[in-house]
Amino acid sequence: MALAALLTACSDTAGDGTGAAASAPDAKDWDAVLATADGQTVNWYMYGGDDNLNTFVNGELSDRLEKLGVTLNQVKITDTVDAVNKVLAEEQAGRDDDGSVDMIWVNGENFATGKQADLWTCGYPENLPNAQYVDFTDPAVTSDFGVPIEGCESVWQQADSALVYDSEALADNDVESVDSLIAWAGANPGRFTYAAPPDFTGSMAVRTFLYDTADNPERLLGAFDEAVYGPISAELWQRLNDLEPSLWRGGDTYPASQDDVERLYADDEIDAYLTYGPGAVAVKAADGVFPASTREAVLDVGNIANNSFVAIPYNAEHTAAAMVVANELLDPELQLALFRANGAYPAVDLESLPSVQRAAFDAVDLGPSVLPLADLTANTRPELRADYVALIEADWKANVQQR
Amino acid sequence: MTAAGPGAPAAGRRALRVPRWALILAQLSPALLVVGGLFAGGVGLGLAQSLGYLPFLGGWSWNLDAYRAVWADPAVRASFALTFRIAFLSTAAATVLGVSAALLVHRVGRFRSALTSVLSAPLPVPHIVGALCMLLLLSQSGLLSRVTRAAGLTETQAEFPALTADAFGWGIIAEYVWKESPFVAVVTLAALTGGVDDLVGAARTLGARPWQCFRHVVLPLISPSVAATSILVFAFTFGSYEVPFLLGRPFPAALPVVALQYYRDVDLAARPQAMALAVVISVLVAVLVAVYMALLGRLVRRAP
Repeated sequence: MALAALLTACSDTAGDGTGAAASAPDAKDWDAVLATADGQTVNWYMYGGDDNLNTFVNGELSDRLEKLGVTLNQVKITDTVDAVNKVLAEEQAGRDDDGSVDMIWVNGENFATGKQADLWTCGYPENLPNAQYVDFTDPAVTSDFGVPIEGCESVWQQADSALVYDSEALADNDVESVDSLIAWAGANPGRFTYAAPPDFTGSMAVRTFLYDTADNPERLLGAFDEAVYGPISAELWQRLNDLEPSLWRGGDTYPASQDDVERLYADDEIDAYLTYGPGAVAVKAADGVFPASTREAVLDVGNIANNSFVAIPYNAEHTAAAMVVANELLDPELQLALFRANGAYPAVDLESLPSVQRAAFDAVDLGPSVLPLADLTANTRPELRADYVALIEADWKANVQQR
Repeated sequence: MTAAGPGAPAAGRRALRVPRWALILAQLSPALLVVGGLFAGGVGLGLAQSLGYLPFLGGWSWNLDAYRAVWADPAVRASFALTFRIAFLSTAAATVLGVSAALLVHRVGRFRSALTSVLSAPLPVPHIVGALCMLLLLSQSGLLSRVTRAAGLTETQAEFPALTADAFGWGIIAEYVWKESPFVAVVTLAALTGGVDDLVGAARTLGARPWQCFRHVVLPLISPSVAATSILVFAFTFGSYEVPFLLGRPFPAALPVVALQYYRDVDLAARPQAMALAVVISVLVAVLVAVYMALLGRLVRRAP
C-alpha cells in the first residue's frame, strides 16, 4: 500500500522534464541576467581531484565573480555521474525549480545521459556575451562525443591527450608510435598501464590503441557500423591481451582510476601513462610530485581531443548566476590565466582574439615537461560517438579485463 | 520517575490513562518515522526500480530482466566468492583476535585502563582513513615495501608481494581486521565485567581447571555479546563499499563495488541492474544474519 502511494507520488512529477525551464532567464537580455544573478550563489559540481584547478576556481575565478555579486561554491565530486544522479534524484523527488545543483562540469557520456533524461537547460550558450570568442562552426563545439549539443552546454576548456613519460626510462624513439611504446613495455615489463575503463582517461587509452589498430580511423567516425567495428575491435582485443604481460602487475589487474595511475607514476611504480590533461603535468613536475625528467609526447597515431563543457540542470535554483559563470569562463583574460595557472588549453578560438591577446597565449611557457600547444594539436583526432564509447568500454571489460 | 516522592506514582496514574506502550510509541515516533520512512522508502524505491520502474526514462514495465542480467554478468559471479571470502575471513580473524585481546587485557590488573584505551583507539577512525593508511603501508610503493628494500630483502617495488589490488583481498581483510578487532574486544571486555571473576573463582574452588573455567564459565557468558558483535561485523564487511573500492581491484570487485559500478553506468538503462544487485546484497545479508543467529542461538543454549 505504502509502496503504491510512493509510486503514485513519484509518477506525478515524471515526464515533464524541461517544463520548469520556462522560468529560465533569457541570455539575450544580458543586463537582466546580471541583475538576477546579483546576490546569488552558484553550486558548481565539478571533478575535485585537481588541486591546482581547485585553487584557480576558488581564487581567480571566484574573485572575478565576486565583483558581479555572484558567489561561487565549488562542490567537489570524484565522478561527474554523481552530480547527474543527484539532479535525477531531485527530479524524481519533484524538485523542479529549486534544485541544489546549479552547474556541472560535464562532457561526453554524462552529457548524453542528461540529454537522455531531459535534464539540461538549453538555448543560452550562443547568446552569452563572450560567445563571440567561440567558433560555433567547429564540430568539437557543436557536438560532444558525437552527441549534438543543441545549445544545452557551454564550452570552457579543451582536453588533448598525450603520453606522459620519464625521459630517464624512455628514449625519444620509444615514444614515437604505439608500436614502439608496446615494444618498450615488452622490454621493461610492469612499467606501463592504463586505468580500467569506464574510467574517462582509461577509456581514451583504449581508444588510442583502437585508432592505431584501425588503418583508417576516420571509418569509425559517425554512426555505429558493425562491419567496420567488428574486425578492427577483434584485432584490438588481441593486441591488448598480448600487451597484458608487459603491463603493471603483469596485466593481472588494472588501476581503478586515473588518480591511481598518476599515483603509481608519482610513486615510481610505472614510467609512462596517457593523460587528458597534459598542461597540468607542469605543476606536478615543478612541485616534485613527478620527476623533473618528466616529458610528454604525442604518438604518431595522433592524439584525441575533446572539449570540456558546463551544463546547467533544468531545475537549477540559480540559473542566472550559473550563466554568468559560464560567460566568465569564456572571457579571454580568464582563459589565459587558466592556461598559465593550470595548463588548461583554451576553449576560445585564438583566431578571433586581438593580436595582443593571441601573442600572450603564444608566449605562455609551461616548462620543459609540457609540449607546446602547437606540437600537441598538430595531429588531433576527434572523439567517437558516445554510443561507440560505451560499447568499447563494455567490450573491453568482456574481452580484456574478464578474459 | 524512580527518584520521585512516594506520592508521585499514584498521582501519575490518576493523571495519565494512556497505556504504557502507547506512550513509548509516541515518544519513539519521531525517530521511528525518520528511520522507518527513509529506510522503507529507500528500500521500496530500490526494489521498484530493480523491477523496471524507471520514471526518468518515461515509463515502466514490471519484469525480472534486471535480475537475469545481473545473474548473467561475469563481474557479479566473480564477485560472490571474493565478497564471501573477505567477509568470512575478516569476521573470523577479528573475532578471534578481539576476544583474545579482551581476555588478555582482562587478566592484566595494573595497566587495564591504559590498555583498554589503546585497544579502543582505532574505533573513531573512519574506515576510509584506515583504508588509505593501509594503502600507504601495504602497497608496493608503501612503507613496508620501502623497509624491505632498505633491508635488502627486495630489490624492486614489483618484488614486494602485492597486498593491495591483489586477487585474494589481503589488504581489504587487513583493514577490516585492524578496525573490527578492537570493536569485538571492547564489547567483550564489557561482557567480562559483570561478576565473571566471582563465577570463575567459584569454579576454581570447586576444582575446575583453567580450560574448563574458560569453556564452561567464561565462554557461555561472553558468547551472546561476541555473537551479536560478529554478526554486525559480518554484515558490515559484506555490504561495505569504500574499503574494497580503495584497496581492491576493479575486477573482480566486492559486490557493493559492482553495484556502484552499475549505478554509475552512464546508460540510465543500467539503473535497474544496480538496484537489483543492491536488493540481492540486502537479502543475502539478511539471510546470512538469520542463519547465523539461529546457529549461535543453539550453540549458546547448549554451552552451559
